[in-house]
Amino acid sequence: MKISSLISGVAVAGCALGVALTPRAAAMISDEDFNALRSMVTNDNQRVSQLEKQHEQDQQTHTQDQQTIQQLEQRLGETQTLATNAAQKAEAVAKVQSVYPVESAARSALHNFSMVGDAEVQYGQAKGQHGTFSLADFAPIFLFRANDNILFEAGFDVTLQNNTDLSGKPNGGSSTSVNLSFAQLDYLLNDYVTVVAGYMVLPLGTYSERAAGWLNKIPDDPLPVDFLPGSGVGAQLRGAVPIGQSGQMLTYSVYGVNGPSSTDTNANAGSLDLGGNVGGDAIGSPNLNGNPSGGGRIGWFYPWKAHYDVELGVSGQSGTWSGNYLWSALVVDAAVHISPYVEVKGEYINTWQQTDNAGNIQPAGWWVQTSYKLAGLNLDAPIVNDVELVGRYDTANNAQGSTTDRWTAGFVYYLTNTLLLEGDYEWLINHGLNANELPSSQFIVQLSYGF
Amino acid sequence: MHSKLINKRRVVLAGALALVAVCLSAVLAHAEPDKKTDQKPAPKKLTGAELYAINCARCHPERYATEFTASQWKTIMLHMRVRANLPAAQAKVILKYLQEDAGN
Repeated sequence: MKISSLISGVAVAGCALGVALTPRAAAMISDEDFNALRSMVTNDNQRVSQLEKQHEQDQQTHTQDQQTIQQLEQRLGETQTLATNAAQKAEAVAKVQSVYPVESAARSALHNFSMVGDAEVQYGQAKGQHGTFSLADFAPIFLFRANDNILFEAGFDVTLQNNTDLSGKPNGGSSTSVNLSFAQLDYLLNDYVTVVAGYMVLPLGTYSERAAGWLNKIPDDPLPVDFLPGSGVGAQLRGAVPIGQSGQMLTYSVYGVNGPSSTDTNANAGSLDLGGNVGGDAIGSPNLNGNPSGGGRIGWFYPWKAHYDVELGVSGQSGTWSGNYLWSALVVDAAVHISPYVEVKGEYINTWQQTDNAGNIQPAGWWVQTSYKLAGLNLDAPIVNDVELVGRYDTANNAQGSTTDRWTAGFVYYLTNTLLLEGDYEWLINHGLNANELPSSQFIVQLSYGF
Repeated sequence: MHSKLINKRRVVLAGALALVAVCLSAVLAHAEPDKKTDQKPAPKKLTGAELYAINCARCHPERYATEFTASQWKTIMLHMRVRANLPAAQAKVILKYLQEDAGN
């Protein structure tokens, strides 16, 4: 009890002392200090007001800036849309327009005129004979494109040869022969039919249509090809029908021509003239034959990929050749490519000829040719890679007592893609009447240029 | 008695056949290929380069596009379309391919 009384007494004394001392402490701040303090507070208030005003102005500026930014963003969006549309339009136009140089509006006289073709120089030596430059050939093809559907094309064969007398013996000097190989007008009626008229290369087999010097890998022609006319005067319908999207197609040709003729108006076996019936003759008859000839070819081409394909064809022609004597031909052709390096092709040719002196005869023959490009060996040897080896077997029976078999081994050296050096050695086996007239072997070297 | 037995066997046989038929149909239904998934994709259209390799290189060495002008290629392709019996659509694609890099 005494302790609590003591604590209470101390507390009361403390309170009394606090109440008594406070007025004395307040009385220590002077008026001067108070005024200075008030002035300071007033100044601070003014500064705050100014800052608030400036802040409001900044806010207004910021709002304006945001509006300006929004407007700019909107314009940017519009510009981007315009640019995108322009790019899309440009792309669409580019797809429609050709990417190659546009033809000049000012067309020259030679605008649609082109010359392609080939030229050859040949050196040969037959067994028992002197070697000689045996051929100088220039074979241009003139092309004139009247429009997208009309083409006129003419091929010539200009060769140099020794002059000979009627018996074939040289009699001094040389002469230049200019032969018209073909001269035809092509009219592309639609995607599937082309009308051809004039002096046409005939689609009997495929060799005659693909026989330019720089295309054939052996300098001379297969023997039985001589049993067929190379060209004829008349009209033709031809075209192709694609099958699917793989490149497979059916091709066709149907034609009517004057047909073969007679060299001497007789109908003997040796009188057949395959290239001589091009219109009127010396006698004045418009046509030595009673009827024109008709023919055609149908082919099937199947590529299973690039450089791998097979082509089969059947072709024929039938008509008269001297008066009403019949002449007909059947050709079966085939070609196979296995890789870019291997090619095998050939033809079987059979003809039927009615004659006065030998009855019905059948000159016939066949040939097969295979080639291999050494680039397929993948050797690191550029010269070897440019060489192609070629072999051919051909046989022909003229049905007049002579048969010739020939084996050929050769090469093609590609100096460029169009300049070729070809060479071959040929072994000939002759039977029958002219067995001693033909050489038993020969070699030929030829420089060919395609342009 | 004998006829009843035969009828019963017929019923059992018919039921068994029906069961086999149902099972077979179910199996065949599952075995039938899904036409949507087994359909072969549409054949890809050949490019100009592929058609060029297929149609041109089989008869002669390939010619470079730069060897002729665009106008000359147009004339030459017309000639080759007739000579080689090329389908029109393929000839157009090949022509475009050659003209793209044609010489001047």
